[in-house]
Amino acid sequence: MRLSLSTLISHGRMARRMGLGPKSRIDMLRNILTGLVRHERIETTRGKADEVRFYAEKLIDYAKKGDTDEKAMKMACFWLTEKDLVPKLFRVLAPRFENQQAGYTRMARIPNRENLDRAPMAVLEYKGNPYPPLFTPKRDNELTLLNQLLKGYREEREQQAAAKAE
Amino acid sequence: MAAPVRSTAICSLGAFRNQNFRFLSTSLRQLASGGASGQPPKFTPPTKPVIIDKTRAEVPLRRFLSPEFIPPRQRTKSLKFALERKDMIQRRSVLNIPEFYVGSILAVTMSDPHASDKTNRFVGLCIQRSGKGLGATFLLRNVISNQGVEICYELYNPRMQKIEVLKLEKRLDDNLLYLRDALPEYCTVDLNMKPIATSPTGDVPVNTLKVKMKPKPWSKRWERPKYNVQGIRFDLCLTAEKMQEAQKWAQPWLEYDMLKEYNTSALEDSIWQEVQKSAGK
Repeated sequence: MRLSLSTLISHGRMARRMGLGPKSRIDMLRNILTGLVRHERIETTRGKADEVRFYAEKLIDYAKKGDTDEKAMKMACFWLTEKDLVPKLFRVLAPRFENQQAGYTRMARIPNRENLDRAPMAVLEYKGNPYPPLFTPKRDNELTLLNQLLKGYREEREQQAAAKAE
Repeated sequence: MAAPVRSTAICSLGAFRNQNFRFLSTSLRQLASGGASGQPPKFTPPTKPVIIDKTRAEVPLRRFLSPEFIPPRQRTKSLKFALERKDMIQRRSVLNIPEFYVGSILAVTMSDPHASDKTNRFVGLCIQRSGKGLGATFLLRNVISNQGVEICYELYNPRMQKIEVLKLEKRLDDNLLYLRDALPEYCTVDLNMKPIATSPTGDVPVNTLKVKMKPKPWSKRWERPKYNVQGIRFDLCLTAEKMQEAQKWAQPWLEYDMLKEYNTSALEDSIWQEVQKSAGK
């Protein structure tokens, strides 16, 4: 569990307690991570997404060691409950993040679930997926009237300062 | 083609024979010269040959970093551990703390103000190493007149005078606390034991001894997977059903939980460099 302002002091707690015990927690996270590797973008509750994020990044770190590495293969076989995804992890995801050291995933908060529990939800994705971007890229608004006026004002001020210096 | 080859072979054979004759003749002449001076030549034994096998690369010394140098995984500031490491290296420049493992037999000499010669020596089997930094300890166990004795020594205690390794070896486990519940002969060590030499290169010998236990009320349930004990003959004291039942407490997923991993190899390398640098000064 990463630190946020609400849990600034974690008292040695490393992970959230979820599910019916430690085994149930790992099994739940396994299933979510398998879904993430298959679809590359998933929607879950915020706590689970945050928890899975750590394992998703570590799994990529292991996958980068290559499929000849025994430990990496063991980890992949454990964490991907559907075994047809193991080649995808080693052949598609690991080469994609070859030049990256960390931060393979992106998490975005979305509105609470329209359900009885109103659970806070989040979207978790691997970067470089083929879907449309989660966050709209910043528009280049250099040519708007206000920016043009500001630019002109800045240039004028520079000229004045130069004249004063002379 | 065959004829010239044979001729060269004969030639070389002839040369060899000539050489042999020449050799014989020189020895005869030497004998003759010895006879001329009137004294028999004094026998000098040939110097002992020193055999250096240059084809084999020199084996480097065993690299050993004491486990207390590696800080535990926690949020304590690393400055604390760096300062403690400095003190530990300083202490090691005065006191020789040798390489030893759980399962080695040690002799420890401590200063004791109440003893007649102001020192106290204890010999025992190291059954546990614990603590990190300056507070690192090790636990020695021995059985003296049918009474088990355990003494927990602090490695960097200023009262510590000498640590000798009498027998350097490892066991199957990293913690031998189960010897408390084993038959006493497994941790009975002779107090006047002579040190056994081991080579400073190569791997440390591993003693694959499996111990027999006393009957059941034990201090801990050693058969549980939590302890992961390899060095006990469970087949003598527990039935297969009991062993099967103990597996109910197994947590096979822990091995795959990446949150619990603590890879110290990079840390170990940097600390090793630091220790070597300060030891060289």
